[in-house]
Amino acid sequence: MEERLYDLIFILRPDTPEADIDKVISTLEHAATEKGGKIDSVNKWGRKRMAYRVQKLREGYFVYMVIRSSHGEVVKELERRLKVSDPVIKYLTVRLDEELKRQDKLKRHRERRAARRPRKTVAPAPATPGAEQAAAPTA
Amino acid sequence: MAEENAQQQSYGGGGGSRSSGPGGPGGRPGGPAKRGKRNFVRKKKVCRFCVDKADFIDYKKAEILAPFIQERGKILPRRMTGTCARHQRWLTVAIKRAQNIALLPFAAEL
Repeated sequence: MEERLYDLIFILRPDTPEADIDKVISTLEHAATEKGGKIDSVNKWGRKRMAYRVQKLREGYFVYMVIRSSHGEVVKELERRLKVSDPVIKYLTVRLDEELKRQDKLKRHRERRAARRPRKTVAPAPATPGAEQAAAPTA
Repeated sequence: MAEENAQQQSYGGGGGSRSSGPGGPGGRPGGPAKRGKRNFVRKKKVCRFCVDKADFIDYKKAEILAPFIQERGKILPRRMTGTCARHQRWLTVAIKRAQNIALLPFAAEL
């Protein structure tokens, strides 16, 4: 099966010590590799204000990671761990590969159109070399 | 401001000359002549994502999505923002995702 790409964002309590944050991340990494997935990148966004209160908290420590896996088991396991983990107050997993595929398609489509367009602009183009030639003797 | 007024006037004049149109807004004959009566012209809105040639709308960038929600947290309709149908579709999905991860509010807090 083809590989899937996921975005995983989770929010920790803002008072979580740095060591605990790293611990949560490393356990997730372990869990992911165990299930045959791979964590592409981990990005700590740090403390941010949340748009609404979650568990009476107004702020949270955001962590964003990109996960690659060929099946959904990895996500299931990671979400289970996040649910169990105490400092985690919120999480969200989004599958992105299909959107990226669509994005690629659109990009290719646009490039093809862009490649077709020069033909139209070629017609007036010969005028400019002529102008250049005309300009060359004077220069 | 001055530019806007000039644009509006030119639009109005165009509407008057096109009075043969099938009863469009402001297409009434003699409409622009009577000044101060129903002489408003809507500015043509362009989809902001089409201008940027956006292939997808990132739900993680709350600052991009923020202009498309109301104070109360509602998603603004297409007719208000001028977003094209395709991008509005992507936009709603992005906004809903952002709401889920507390980047955007579901409703204003009070």
